[in-house]
Amino acid sequence: MSSPLLEVSGLSAGYSGENVIRQISFEVDQGEAVTIIGSNGAGKSTLFKAIISILRPTTGSCCFDGVDITRLATHKISRLGLAYVPAERHLFPELTVIDNLHLGAYPKRPDPAVEAMVFEVFGRLAERRTQHAGKLSGGEQQMLAVGRALMSKPRLLMLDEPTTGLAPLLATESYTALGHLRDSGLTIVVAEQQVPLALELASRGYVLEDGRFGLTGTSDELAGNPEVQRAYLGVA
Amino acid sequence: MIAAILDGIVLGLQYGLLGVGLTLIYGLAGVLNLAHGQIAVLGAVVVSVQMGNGMAAVPAILIGLAASSAALLVVDLTIMRAVYRQSGETRILLGLLLMLGVAFIIDGILVWKYPIERLGLRIGGDPIAILGVKMSRGSLLASGITIAAGLVLVVFFMFTKFGLAVRSVIQDEQGARLVGVNPARVRTFVFGLSGVLAGLVAVTRSMTGPIGADNTISLTILALIVAVVGGLRSVPGAFVAGVLLGIVDRLSSFYIGTYITTIILLVCAALTIVIRPTGILGGSSG
Repeated sequence: MSSPLLEVSGLSAGYSGENVIRQISFEVDQGEAVTIIGSNGAGKSTLFKAIISILRPTTGSCCFDGVDITRLATHKISRLGLAYVPAERHLFPELTVIDNLHLGAYPKRPDPAVEAMVFEVFGRLAERRTQHAGKLSGGEQQMLAVGRALMSKPRLLMLDEPTTGLAPLLATESYTALGHLRDSGLTIVVAEQQVPLALELASRGYVLEDGRFGLTGTSDELAGNPEVQRAYLGVA
Repeated sequence: MIAAILDGIVLGLQYGLLGVGLTLIYGLAGVLNLAHGQIAVLGAVVVSVQMGNGMAAVPAILIGLAASSAALLVVDLTIMRAVYRQSGETRILLGLLLMLGVAFIIDGILVWKYPIERLGLRIGGDPIAILGVKMSRGSLLASGITIAAGLVLVVFFMFTKFGLAVRSVIQDEQGARLVGVNPARVRTFVFGLSGVLAGLVAVTRSMTGPIGADNTISLTILALIVAVVGGLRSVPGAFVAGVLLGIVDRLSSFYIGTYITTIILLVCAALTIVIRPTGILGGSSG
């Protein structure tokens, strides 16, 4: 059997000596969509930042496609094919949409076919291609952040709360686009507070509470779990 | 009047390149290079020494530019490492102090070893009339070289992959890492580039008047003023600011007096900070 695309084991990390996430282990297989659900401050961003080496983990290791990426420089991890879309997006505000996209492919030459695909999935970006990224609306910026990540032809796309700051309709639209990407075979890990959308996209999920993984299961199991329903789905 | 403005443009193009060199390093590394003038003169002195040994001008100039560039590369790869580990105010302050140290060291070496070395590249031939004003060939060649260097920079930043990567680091270093850009490599490159630009300014200025150890501080101050008026993070802004300040410089020398010119330029910088903190071209950075 083949090894998982991403393998995280015993990962702990945090700020100024205090661990925000503790002993996190999980695996993601090729072609899967997995969600990590948790409320504000549960440690979702910290987990991603530790995987991508923006934060230095205190314990544990991460393996991507058989390569040990623990403490590997962020830009090198990106070049291996692990693309990360942070909640803060980190776009280049005074570069045009098209320049932002082309940088996504760095250090390779942008692939016209991928570019065409991005403009097909996010039609609104095509209309704005010569505008500065800083002038886009929140929804368009989110599209651009995902589009920029796709330009590197990633094998794994990690998204941190892609619906942050989006109106409900745009959030749904955003997840429709992610669904298309999943159907085309892209492996996706998404951290989310908008649990219904995330469970619809993913086949299984982990619940992150207070820096640790609690419940885990298929999306249907999680959606049917009374605790999840009470805490995240607003079912009384 | 027209003569003063044309002179101002010649001078201003060089000011622009001076400001661009400072702006690049500040925008990218958050380090205010207080040794920019020293780095520039260092290159000019190397050219002068080589030519004194009988070398032809062009290879001597290339070696001089390489010397300026190498000096900043060494700074980036050694003492700046300590600066890059810091953030916020500590980083700015430490960078400032270390660059001031570099300035003192270069000044010391120049005054000690080459106190009377002056680079004066005399460009022969009769003046050429432009808009009825006779311009020396030295001024025209200096401007031609500076404009060519500016165009090369525009092409590099607008149309090359690596140029785009440099701009991405200036705008969002974290974002740059996420797309696979190595900020450390970009920084090293830009220090080297800034050194070449500084050397080029000293070499072109020497086509209109001699450059030596006593020009270091005034060049650093000019670079600082131009970069501030340009907005400190805007490369095109620095270039435009340089040209405008060159014209202000010449007009004020012509109508008021040379002694007060630097003060007027400083006032321009102070007014920019108060009225337009993002610089002359507004918020356009990178």
